[in-house]
Amino acid sequence: MLKLSKEAMLGLVLIALFLLMSIIAPGFLDSYNLSNMMFQLPELGILALGMMVVILTAGIDLSITYTASFSGVIAALCMSHHYPIAVAIGIGIAVALLCGLLNGFFIAIIGVSPILVTLGSMVLFEGVILTITKGNAISGFPDAFGQIGNMSIGPIPLPVIVFLVLAVITATLLNRTIWGRSVYKVGINPVAARFSGLHVKRVLLGVYLFSAFMASIAAIIMISRYNSAKVDLGSSYLLLTVSAAVLGGTEISGGYGKVKGTVYAVAIFQVLSNGLNLLGIPRTVVDILMGVILIAVLTLNYVSAKMSARKSLKVSAG
Amino acid sequence: MKKFSGMMVSLVMVFALILSACGSKNENAGASPDAGSGAPSSPASGKKLKIAVVPKLIGIPYFNASETGAKKAGADLGVDVIYTGPTQGDAAQQVKVIEDLISQKVDVIAVAPNDPASLTPVLKRAKEQGIKIMDWDTPADPSVVELSVQQIDNEVFGRTITDKLVEKMGTDTGEVALLTGGLSAANLNTWIDWAQKQAAEKYPGLKFVSDKIATDEKQQVAYQKTLDLLKAYPNLKGIMAYSTVAPIGAAQAVQEKGLQGKVAVVGTALPTDSKPYLADGSLSSALLWDPGALGYLTVALAKDLAEGKLPTDGQEVPNVGKITVKSDNKTVVMGPPTEFTKENADQYPF
Repeated sequence: MLKLSKEAMLGLVLIALFLLMSIIAPGFLDSYNLSNMMFQLPELGILALGMMVVILTAGIDLSITYTASFSGVIAALCMSHHYPIAVAIGIGIAVALLCGLLNGFFIAIIGVSPILVTLGSMVLFEGVILTITKGNAISGFPDAFGQIGNMSIGPIPLPVIVFLVLAVITATLLNRTIWGRSVYKVGINPVAARFSGLHVKRVLLGVYLFSAFMASIAAIIMISRYNSAKVDLGSSYLLLTVSAAVLGGTEISGGYGKVKGTVYAVAIFQVLSNGLNLLGIPRTVVDILMGVILIAVLTLNYVSAKMSARKSLKVSAG
Repeated sequence: MKKFSGMMVSLVMVFALILSACGSKNENAGASPDAGSGAPSSPASGKKLKIAVVPKLIGIPYFNASETGAKKAGADLGVDVIYTGPTQGDAAQQVKVIEDLISQKVDVIAVAPNDPASLTPVLKRAKEQGIKIMDWDTPADPSVVELSVQQIDNEVFGRTITDKLVEKMGTDTGEVALLTGGLSAANLNTWIDWAQKQAAEKYPGLKFVSDKIATDEKQQVAYQKTLDLLKAYPNLKGIMAYSTVAPIGAAQAVQEKGLQGKVAVVGTALPTDSKPYLADGSLSSALLWDPGALGYLTVALAKDLAEGKLPTDGQEVPNVGKITVKSDNKTVVMGPPTEFTKENADQYPF
């Protein structure tokens, strides 16, 4: 009997959806629309990778979008004060890493629950950005900076290349490094991980630094693409990143999840939202459909996990 | 496992069914024979124009009212109106909405930007695809739009508020006070400056008892400050209040003290909020514009723009009235403010 992994299944669903949309959504296969989708996908994709790694440790990073907007606003401020682009980007990343360090410190070292810490830091970062910008947008960047988010190499947009490179790096980190394997172990059972000699604190700190780093890369792409940085830029992505990770097969209770799955899930969201928009379905209905699909897939995952667990029980009993 | 795959496949099938149902319903609603996306016909040759109107946010009363107006204009003028926008006030989401509209090959995009700067790149791309760009409600980057539809002329609005206050006070001499939402709100400040100018030029007998008083965009604060004012200045005859909640707070205080008819309150309030206070006279007059008419005007001008017609000063737009075109030839002002009274406040759904 053909046995498919969760991720392969998602891949099939993605292909099916893509074919479906090609047939029913007018203009879906236009080269303009295809490149449009490729430009839209990386922001959510990169943030979702960051979120996935956090969820692997049974944590969550609610501050991820505000970390992104914080680092974007600071990078934007640097550029509007005529710092060189590379320096501005460097400072932006450094700000995000500081945010990650703050989260990591309270979660890993003090031991406060991740949802509380990041909820607090989310509000904290929002407040700080509002104080700095007074709610205004910061814009007016050098033209060269605008290229980062809007340039294509051949038919492939630069942000997609960045996203794929980051996905490969994330997969390599998770599968081929000691830190990566420890992330899964901490997710399955932090106590056992500690007793088997892992530096749980160091692993957790690394996880929040990683998600903050991803947030800053997403921020740079966003502010370059939109030519502006503002307090709520990208805030609509927050719950989508969690949804994408979970739809991609990541266990919300930690310990299991693959980069491949998250990438498929982000692509599914992208194809769905674009296709439904092309069909002229109202945005509110699009939101409803997304919610329904998410719940349906998660229920299916749960049921199938239950079924296979029962089957293996039967096998061992027999 | 086979069972599981079967479930998955049937899920996709059900989903496909729902989709195609939605899709076909949508086409029927448009009542246009689908010309097929590959048809090489130019948009002007008999095919219905597609006009996209993008608000800052969907699902709030103000923009629901403008949706009704825009849809009505679409039905009246025989154009397809796509009214879609972000479900959160996030500029990134608004950019995506516009990108998807470009893919839909609409003829005109009219947008009310959340963050004007962030829309400039995507609007430029739309322009490269031959789509006409305009803004409404809130100006976008003037270098990318061909037409800008504004609800009100700030000077006329400010001056009208002073005139209306004098009318409601029944006299052009006496003490008046001025409440505002926040001292740094640019649009409120512009209106206040014109209102004060009008008072200085036309009604020298009006005496402002203090500088403008900030109410933090809160009804409760406006209420409290008005109570203080009424106590400190027993001869106060009129209050003008800016921001949509300040007039309500002021009216609440006047109502509590039973000063209806003695102290006139004029402000920029929404009709549904004002109704109870208009009814007993504690709020003398609410002035604002009608977002429904604004939506209607936007679609009407978008259709003209797509057909190569530019608006002219004094042009009569059906269901809207006479419009003004400013000297840059692309800024259109809808007209004088709408006054909400106890008689008509019921007719407005926002």
